[in-house]
Amino acid sequence: MAKEMIAMILAGGQGSRLYALTQKLAKPAVPFGGKYRIIDFPLSNCVNSDIDTVGILTQYQPLVLNEYVGNGQPWDLDRLHGGVHVLPPYQQASGSDWYKGTANAIYQNVSFIDRYDPKYVIILSGDQICKQDYSDFLRFHKEKNAEFSVAVMEVPWSEAPRFGLMVSDDDDRINEFQEKPKNPKSNLASMGIYIFNWDILKKYMMEDEADPNSENDFGKNIIPSLLRDNRRMYAYHFNGYWKDVGTISSLWQANMEVLDPSHSGINLFDENWKIYSRNSGRPCQQIGADADVVNSMITEGCKINGTVKDSILFPGVVVEKGATVEAAVVMGGTVIKAGAAVTHCIVAENVTIEEGAKVGAMPEGGLNIAEPGDVATVGSDVKIGKGATVGPKAMVASDVKDGEEQW
Amino acid sequence: MVSSNANALGVIFANSYDNLVPELVAERTMASIPFAGRYRMIDFTLSSMANSGIDNVSIIVRKNYHSLMDHLGSGREWDLARKRGGLNIVPPFAERSVKLYSGRVDAIASILSWLQAQKERYVILSDSCIALNIDFNKLIEAHVNSNADVTLVYTHSEIPEGARNDNYTVRIENGRVIELLSNDYRPGVQNLATNIYVIERESLIQLIRDAAVRGLVYFERDILARNLNLLNVQAYQFEGYTARIADMKSYFDENMRLLQDNNVGKLFDSANPIYTKIRDDNPTRYLEGSSVKNCLVADGCVIEGTVENSVLFRGCQVKKGAVVRNCVLMQDTLVEENAKAEYVVTDKNVHITAGKQLSGAESFPVFVAKKHTV
Repeated sequence: MAKEMIAMILAGGQGSRLYALTQKLAKPAVPFGGKYRIIDFPLSNCVNSDIDTVGILTQYQPLVLNEYVGNGQPWDLDRLHGGVHVLPPYQQASGSDWYKGTANAIYQNVSFIDRYDPKYVIILSGDQICKQDYSDFLRFHKEKNAEFSVAVMEVPWSEAPRFGLMVSDDDDRINEFQEKPKNPKSNLASMGIYIFNWDILKKYMMEDEADPNSENDFGKNIIPSLLRDNRRMYAYHFNGYWKDVGTISSLWQANMEVLDPSHSGINLFDENWKIYSRNSGRPCQQIGADADVVNSMITEGCKINGTVKDSILFPGVVVEKGATVEAAVVMGGTVIKAGAAVTHCIVAENVTIEEGAKVGAMPEGGLNIAEPGDVATVGSDVKIGKGATVGPKAMVASDVKDGEEQW
Repeated sequence: MVSSNANALGVIFANSYDNLVPELVAERTMASIPFAGRYRMIDFTLSSMANSGIDNVSIIVRKNYHSLMDHLGSGREWDLARKRGGLNIVPPFAERSVKLYSGRVDAIASILSWLQAQKERYVILSDSCIALNIDFNKLIEAHVNSNADVTLVYTHSEIPEGARNDNYTVRIENGRVIELLSNDYRPGVQNLATNIYVIERESLIQLIRDAAVRGLVYFERDILARNLNLLNVQAYQFEGYTARIADMKSYFDENMRLLQDNNVGKLFDSANPIYTKIRDDNPTRYLEGSSVKNCLVADGCVIEGTVENSVLFRGCQVKKGAVVRNCVLMQDTLVEENAKAEYVVTDKNVHITAGKQLSGAESFPVFVAKKHTV
């Protein structure tokens, strides 16, 4: 049974700039928004767009991601024909290779895609926070009779040189691609989300593989080749929320924006476009008699007896009496003991912050989500000792002893 | 999770004691009454079974079971969507032999052929009016070690007011039940039966057959109480946390009791989780101006007003200026601006419009039925 379109999610990224958060897991598995992981966004977008066959290409630290995706049931992707499949690099008769580039990762899974005999393949990124209707993107692709389409976002001209830019005509047909140019001719940044006609993609991947000098990358190799051959390439304009949470401050920012969906953030509260996730299975949140909770998001299994302000707490976070949490992203299972102050920071999973410890600090001038300044970071399973201090610029990946200071 | 699988199957009665809470079961069964913010009563027994490695469970339903079927689905959330065993829901008239039964004997008699075809050595029988987190392996172990014919689970508790005319208590000597009383009039703490039993499957079949041909209806009164000399009925005390629904008042009280003394920690145990149907709600939002104290809150709520000493189920909204005190708000209850509710139990999808004041008393909470607008 042929599928019209299947999705391939590139989820091999290490996310090295998130350092302390990605020591044990790949970037797509990084928790986000109170009860989600980043991969929930492309997966939920797929099912909400009626795509029921998804390959996830993993490479770096895949354990957490594999276990999380499992059989795909939370996303309704446990299907008889199709569903979600995690695709790590594997050994072949001719030898084995890590995924060398984005295009090579797809190339090594040609036989997976061929199984479903799709007309179109959508290539997605596993590390972006974005709500997008891919069926509308496909409608555009078909309307333009395109062979390749790329989703683009308008960015401020001043920032354009940081992006891969698509130069297109009035009909959105792309006639030039500029990778991080000094003198941009366009402000349409590629989101790294592509729809290919499968026969075209296959042909160009094969040719690309035959070139030993190629980096086997979509942006660097495949797209330039398509342009060279004057293929029908179109730019699809996307105006919704999109964020590549590549850095600590952008991850913190994207989380904070969730608290304010009507202005800046992604709307997670849309009944018609639910974001699905694997459930923690914990009981309800307990808000104690001494709790003071303002402008925050709290989820299952949390136990709050302290002050929580402008923060996002993941499943099972404990905030003891007298502790304060402000402008913080606190991931699952973390315990913040009495008198500790956790401010303007990201605290990863299963961290213990002992009594009287201080993590992060509010920047001078107060909370400013648009210009966050320093965001302190504590990696998972770390213990911050009694009365210890973690400065606003610090990124802590191992235990901090009682009374110790880290800046 | 217990690694060794119990050599037992489970039989759960979904409608027993429906008569005690007519308001709550107007459109559901005792088993599907929402409890503790995000659960249904049956989740506790069913999860306990799943966590004890019991993976073959029959749920006998009598009427009003649509909400229960919807809740249970294929049993996947409890890991009971299995090829071998798994979840088996038995409504009346499901087969020619299944009739609209009146007592437990009838009910079990209607699944006799299924019971005969199973392989597990023991059967756990349970109602679904008690929320508890019990290790059935320990119960079975006690049953085997005592050479009992039947082991009955009891708690040291007072007879709940609502169950005054609908309960069994036991007198125990050296662990053996020597008297099984119904509706004891004496006050104070007693050995109160939970209607949870373990019995060998073969002997259950035999007992039920013998009772059925004699037209006997009640398992406790007609089978156990009459034969305490012949049958070795052992008593097993469950010392863990229990929440028993016996009337509207106890429903309210048991929800409220979870707000005290870390009772949530006693009922829930991270090693033996209670599973339930997943709704994929987003986390709960506490907006600017909200004040929430001493509450149990499920996901998907949006709180702008004041909420104290209350249990909020999934998807409740409390708007600006609204005050909710000592309430149990079931799923998707909407309390609009400046409304005030005290000692109120709202069923699902209740809408309290702006400025309304609704108040019951601690001894008599007001109940608003499903989908009603105040």
